[in-house]
Amino acid sequence: MGQGSVNDALMPAAESHRPLALTPTEDIRGFLAFHLGRTFLFVITCTSVLAVFLIFLFVIKEAFPFLTEFSIVEFLTSAEWYPESENPRYGVLALLTGSAYVTIVALVFSVPVGVLAAVFLSDIVGLRIRSVVKPIVEILAAIPSVAYGFFAVMVLAPWMQTKLGFSTGTNALNASLVLAVMALPTIISVSEDSLSAVGRELREASYGLGATRFETIFKVLIPAAHSGIIAAVVLGMMRAIGETMVVWMASGNATQIPSPWWDLSQSVRTMTATIAGDMGETEKGSPHYRALFAVGMLLLIMTFCLNLVSEYFLTRAKRAGGKS
Amino acid sequence: MRTIIRGILNNVFTAVAGTSVVCLCMVLVAVLGPMIWRGGSAVFFKGTVEFRKMQLALFGRGNEAKIEAEQKRPEDARRFVYDAIEKFKGGIDTEALSDKARQIYRQFGSELRQTDMPGEEVAELRSITRDIRKRLEIAFASQNRDEINKALTYVNSFRDDSRFKNSSAEGLFQLAEEYATAIQGINLAERNEYRKELAEVEQILTRLLGPAPATPTPALMMDRFGATRWDQAQKLLNRLVWHEQWAQQEPNEPMVKMRTPRSQRFAGTELEGLFDIIEQQLPEMLAPKLTFYWRYFIDDSTPGHYFGGVGPEILGTLLLTVLAMLFVVPFGVISAAYLVECASDNLAVRTIRMCINTLAGVPSIVFGMFGLAFFVLFFLPIFGVPSKGCILAASLTLAVLTLPVMIRASEEAIRAVPQTYKEASLALGASGFRTFVTVTLPAALPGILTGVILSLSRVAGETAPVLFTGAVALGPMPKSIFDPTRTLSYGSYDMAVGDRLAAMVPHNQFGMVVTLVGLILCLNTLAIILRFRVSKKLAGQ
Repeated sequence: MGQGSVNDALMPAAESHRPLALTPTEDIRGFLAFHLGRTFLFVITCTSVLAVFLIFLFVIKEAFPFLTEFSIVEFLTSAEWYPESENPRYGVLALLTGSAYVTIVALVFSVPVGVLAAVFLSDIVGLRIRSVVKPIVEILAAIPSVAYGFFAVMVLAPWMQTKLGFSTGTNALNASLVLAVMALPTIISVSEDSLSAVGRELREASYGLGATRFETIFKVLIPAAHSGIIAAVVLGMMRAIGETMVVWMASGNATQIPSPWWDLSQSVRTMTATIAGDMGETEKGSPHYRALFAVGMLLLIMTFCLNLVSEYFLTRAKRAGGKS
Repeated sequence: MRTIIRGILNNVFTAVAGTSVVCLCMVLVAVLGPMIWRGGSAVFFKGTVEFRKMQLALFGRGNEAKIEAEQKRPEDARRFVYDAIEKFKGGIDTEALSDKARQIYRQFGSELRQTDMPGEEVAELRSITRDIRKRLEIAFASQNRDEINKALTYVNSFRDDSRFKNSSAEGLFQLAEEYATAIQGINLAERNEYRKELAEVEQILTRLLGPAPATPTPALMMDRFGATRWDQAQKLLNRLVWHEQWAQQEPNEPMVKMRTPRSQRFAGTELEGLFDIIEQQLPEMLAPKLTFYWRYFIDDSTPGHYFGGVGPEILGTLLLTVLAMLFVVPFGVISAAYLVECASDNLAVRTIRMCINTLAGVPSIVFGMFGLAFFVLFFLPIFGVPSKGCILAASLTLAVLTLPVMIRASEEAIRAVPQTYKEASLALGASGFRTFVTVTLPAALPGILTGVILSLSRVAGETAPVLFTGAVALGPMPKSIFDPTRTLSYGSYDMAVGDRLAAMVPHNQFGMVVTLVGLILCLNTLAIILRFRVSKKLAGQ
């Protein structure tokens, strides 16, 4: 069928005189229109590919001179980040541990709460409570990160300093707590989806065997939905690692590896905060600027890998959900 | 037995899971509560007469005659304070007194030059006045009462000299007399302490009541007015009435804040009672009135957001987001249409999907770096745009950032259109393209709109991508899209940590962030309502 035949509906009088078959011109026009249109749509759709390509290209391009000039091993293993000193040092280890630190602590808080809340929403309460709680989760997800950062600095930090007696209110714990709140909506919605995807049959079989709700959830549902829950955790982790404003505002920005390692009341500095804080002050094209792009590249590669992991688990979850 | 344990476990688990949801709600309240409460006070508060004065001077608002009439009573009430301080200063501020004496001496000298007195007499008078001046200076500087009295007696011995009558030299005697009364209630040894304390009191009073009458108008706008808000005034009053000091009480212990009433520090002087009176008379002096300052959302602000509102920030945010949406919506909808309608499961489509997911996972700060490296430094200069941050670069960056959100939302909306619609259209002989444009797209439009609004709210709150691509903390209104702009998101950051001036006006700090959150929540609510209606409509048919 070509495009041209649609017009015929507007001319009923001429209809009877037209042959049923299309003329060659009409046929070719229709064919071309169809395929050109499709190609056009395809090209537009490829914008996202182009965007990803350009992001990788330009970040790596800006970082490349740094990577060839300085030792990558030192970049990754040194904890000394003194880009503006006489003898500049670009060691990203302290920043890496800072990022890992706040992310892991944030996950320690948010994974149990998030998964429990997801279980609560999918299996324990009815539709009415769910329709109240869901918007709350959505609002938590909608609040912009700078507002969370503002909360961390203006409300949480003074509270920590006066009530908990920390020497500084902007520290690893503060940033982690707020990051935990920010990761919660992702964790809740993805794990709830995967829990709901586990069919009725499994639940009913379990209850039919006399299992309590607790046992059903822990022995049947969570094992069945584990791929989705892992994907949720990874997605939450990505959100926490890539978050900039909160850690920039709330983590204290001291380039150090906390010692002793469990002391959460110390300030740390993350990769994202370093980029955000330093980029405005560096000269374009200077080694410091390039080093920041190298940090950005590291960040990009890390999130890319995490993304692949989450994809893997999400597809597995989808397949498992489809089967049951 | 085991059944009981199992039952208990079950209930405990339910309780724990419930607690986590309660936690969630509490977190929401804890985050939004203080923001709304304190941010709301940027708009709804008790404004003092200073606020109305500021509005008149800054924005030309309000009735001039009315405000002037209103100012009368506060001014009367304040006069007493200024008089008391002026009087007290007479015994304290010795440098000013010496200056005054010197000035009178000089004036008298020039007067003498113009008279037709004989030369020797002029010389004698001049030496006497010089002597008087020196004695006065000694008296002003001294802490010994006997010494002062001696000096003053010496000065007063010339008082009845007819040659000084009706000349400016009489000022010197008056000065001596005033000084004698002023120092009666003052412990002279603590004069330096008093001076320091008084300087602090005067500084707080300037913040509270505005610059003292008969002083030159300050250069900075923020110094021209006193406390514009009643809560601010209360805080300043507290600082005025109570003296605070960090002191080491015990060695090796952290410093403790010590509070002493300020009247105690002026004990025995005329100022002792002043603070009580100010406390009582403050409503009189400032005339607080409930104010609904809705123009907060359109007003420009003075540096540091000391006065004024968030108008340019709102405008900048809207400009950025709307421009970004203009870029992203066509691409997003067409991509979604292709992915739903045309794409089969081949390698190219799988790559595209993977790229969309990757794009969604890229940290926002990396988008910022990309925007800087690509749009600001590479792409826009090709077209001759100077390579600095601008609205266009920022909105393009934001458009790339929100592309995956937009594609996913539109995809979902297009998928939600029932298959029967399409089949009916195809059965009538319409082509695939025509079916999509005339049937699927209109049916999916509300859903797509929801996606647009959600992306809009996401874009409005993003800070990291615009940090280096077009947001500034301070600056004029943008004239074109090639200028940088202020935004709500970057403004919130800057007011919270960057700006020292802003720390003095917490209501404006919270006002900025609550404007941002409010804008975003409004957009989200709109999206939720729209989605609800769409799902009802699609389910009903």
